[in-house]
Amino acid sequence: MKKFLTMLFGTLLVLAMVSGCGSKDGGASSAADGDTLKFGCFGYADTLDPGDQINAAWDNMRIGIGECLFNFDDTMTVQPNLCDEYSTEDHITWVFHIRDGVKFSNGNDVTPQSVIDCFEDIFGNEEGTSTPRKFIDYKTMTADNEARTLTIELNAAQPDLCKNLAYPVFMVLDTTGDYDFDTNPIGTGPYVLTSYEPKVSATLTANENYWNGEVPFKNVEVYYLGDDDAKTLALQAGDVNLVENITSAADLKMFADDDNYNVSIAQGVRCGFAYINQDGVLSDETLRHAILKAIDDDTLCETTVGGLYTAGYSVLPSALDYGYDNLTDPDPFDTDAAVKMLDDAGYVDSDGDGIREINGENISLNYITYPNRCLSDFAEAIQSTLGEIGIEVKVNSTDSDTEWNMMVNGEYDLCDSNWTTVGNGDPTEYLANWYSGYEGTDANANWCHYKNAEFDACYDALASEFDNAKRAELIQQMQQILLDDGAVLVHGYYNSSFISDTSITDANIHTADYYWLTTEIKPAS
Amino acid sequence: MGKIKEFIRKNKQFTLFAILALGLIAVAILAPVLTKYDPYQANLGGALQAPSAEHWFGTDKLGRDLFTRIIYGSRVSLAASLTVVAIIFVGGSLLGVIAGYFGKAVDTVIMRLSDMMISFPGMVLAIAVAGILGASIRNAIIAIAIVSWTKYARMSRSLVLKIRHVDYVSAAVVTGSKVSYILRKYMIPNILPTMVITAATDIGGMMLELAGLSFLGFGAQAPTPEWGLMLNEGRVFMQNAPWMMIFPGLAIFVTVVIFNLLGDSLRDVMDVRDE
Repeated sequence: MKKFLTMLFGTLLVLAMVSGCGSKDGGASSAADGDTLKFGCFGYADTLDPGDQINAAWDNMRIGIGECLFNFDDTMTVQPNLCDEYSTEDHITWVFHIRDGVKFSNGNDVTPQSVIDCFEDIFGNEEGTSTPRKFIDYKTMTADNEARTLTIELNAAQPDLCKNLAYPVFMVLDTTGDYDFDTNPIGTGPYVLTSYEPKVSATLTANENYWNGEVPFKNVEVYYLGDDDAKTLALQAGDVNLVENITSAADLKMFADDDNYNVSIAQGVRCGFAYINQDGVLSDETLRHAILKAIDDDTLCETTVGGLYTAGYSVLPSALDYGYDNLTDPDPFDTDAAVKMLDDAGYVDSDGDGIREINGENISLNYITYPNRCLSDFAEAIQSTLGEIGIEVKVNSTDSDTEWNMMVNGEYDLCDSNWTTVGNGDPTEYLANWYSGYEGTDANANWCHYKNAEFDACYDALASEFDNAKRAELIQQMQQILLDDGAVLVHGYYNSSFISDTSITDANIHTADYYWLTTEIKPAS
Repeated sequence: MGKIKEFIRKNKQFTLFAILALGLIAVAILAPVLTKYDPYQANLGGALQAPSAEHWFGTDKLGRDLFTRIIYGSRVSLAASLTVVAIIFVGGSLLGVIAGYFGKAVDTVIMRLSDMMISFPGMVLAIAVAGILGASIRNAIIAIAIVSWTKYARMSRSLVLKIRHVDYVSAAVVTGSKVSYILRKYMIPNILPTMVITAATDIGGMMLELAGLSFLGFGAQAPTPEWGLMLNEGRVFMQNAPWMMIFPGLAIFVTVVIFNLLGDSLRDVMDVRDE
């Protein structure tokens, strides 16, 4: 009896263990049934209110809810969208004509007044961090619903207001009735939100009132997946049809080599770089140039991060029209030249510990980074590279908030960052990272304490220069100044990616990072 | 010589694992002899190479030789685990002996402190401590020591309590022996065998905990060749460069098994109850 009971319990135990090994019915099958798109992506915000956070505006637009008066094409040239015509004479007063027939997803007409109502909500969000005034400093907004025109009068002339209006913060949402931008924004995009759980999931249905053609999927399920492994595994298991930006080069290559998946990669407008803090040991220009010479950007971009970045030396991506090809890189990769520079400057290792010294002190750099878009991989590789020429690098990989605080407090020598260089179609805001004119004001973004009068003069000139060709010239000049000063350690330009299974087609990633779910993505059959 | 042969004949298992453990320590000490590469030397162009005659265990994401990093990793892992065990063995046992011998308020304070420590899940508390102190292998050792000493304290206390009131101790007290003498001469020798066995069996466990903390980013920091950290670095390449996980994982597995079995067989050798 005892033996029998032992065997019985043993068998039950084994069965209980084995029962956990089963898979769901049908196993790993493709998630798409033709009507439903399942999308795995990273969720950055815990709201969809564009006035609340810039990330929220992006998240909102990314899943096809909100749209702007203008949008960007893949060369980051602004194109008409909800607005089909505009005019300005003095760059202060701008008149926009709202396209006929555009409706919100609830069937309400998009009128000039509804655009103003929405903008007033966004501008009026005093607790938000989107800082819309930074992009558009308006004096008055008036609507002529008969003529379908919206007139915006600015406090100061702007070169191209359309670019700012194409920024996701200025999406047009319906404000009639008991509206809720946070969790139920009503937009003009192809999809309508039906449920939203921040950082977990969202479900959407096709917008029956969509103004710009047919909406390909009846339903969309968005899964906010926190890490890359989850995205990879979910796509492999067939739990999603489409994922964005897998940042493991090895996984990306695996999908590219597999006929069951399509990989779309586009050189985006993001630049991966490290700020060089000019308040510390790196105020030494020779040292900066030697470091920049010692780093092999091509190998870093192609091998270390597996092609997820396109190598480059300027702060603005080579794909943009800001004269990259006319620039001269004073520090092409040349280890011997780097070593010679350091030796000639007298920065040698005199105490035999393998680390060079400046004024008797070891050259030890505090490199802060965070695990985003392969930045920490760059940091580790640079640590190793510089170690070989006798420069000690201590890598501190932390989270983005801590890194930001350390950067603002100047507690670094090198600080990794990844910027959308022309988020609103223009690099002026991005170039403020090296502009010293805002120091001591709220607008200061120059956390690396770089100072160059010539650079500042060019930056100031941008504010009053409305001719696009001349602006491009100024911007090219500014890039060359940064290069000549060895002011930035540029890693390369981040390539965005979409990876889809074969149940969907035309899932192509766009240059601008906020157009994900568009009507271009269709079921395969 | 005859005695050694007799000991080996009687304790085959212990001898085998002792030799293996000594072998591991030898590997750690002789690391530079066993490999021609530098564990920190990156070759960015040669990243993620599969195991080959040139690189026995393949290369990692920075093109560093994985075999070399694992060999050097034994230095970090062994030294750290032995340090943790030494700290908790000495610290924990000492506190336990004091609590058991003196009793009353001293006992209450030490034991309630120990109760507080064991009321938290060990690893979670270690993560919290490592998180507060900052991530480094030294802080990981401190974190694990803080949460692990209680076992030794409780055990040594109970062993001391067993003999605290036996006649020879009372005799020592009434003949005017100093407390330090009693502790040294009677208490510690009595508890030592059990405590040593516990310490030996703990080496493997401590190694796992340290590797766990490093894996989670609270222990060793890049570019240190540490097995837990290497596992984490290999995690993202699990499907494409599995050797980056397999070999550090195997290294941890083999080492933990050797030290666990060494501890077990040491118990067989030392435990008088079996005789």
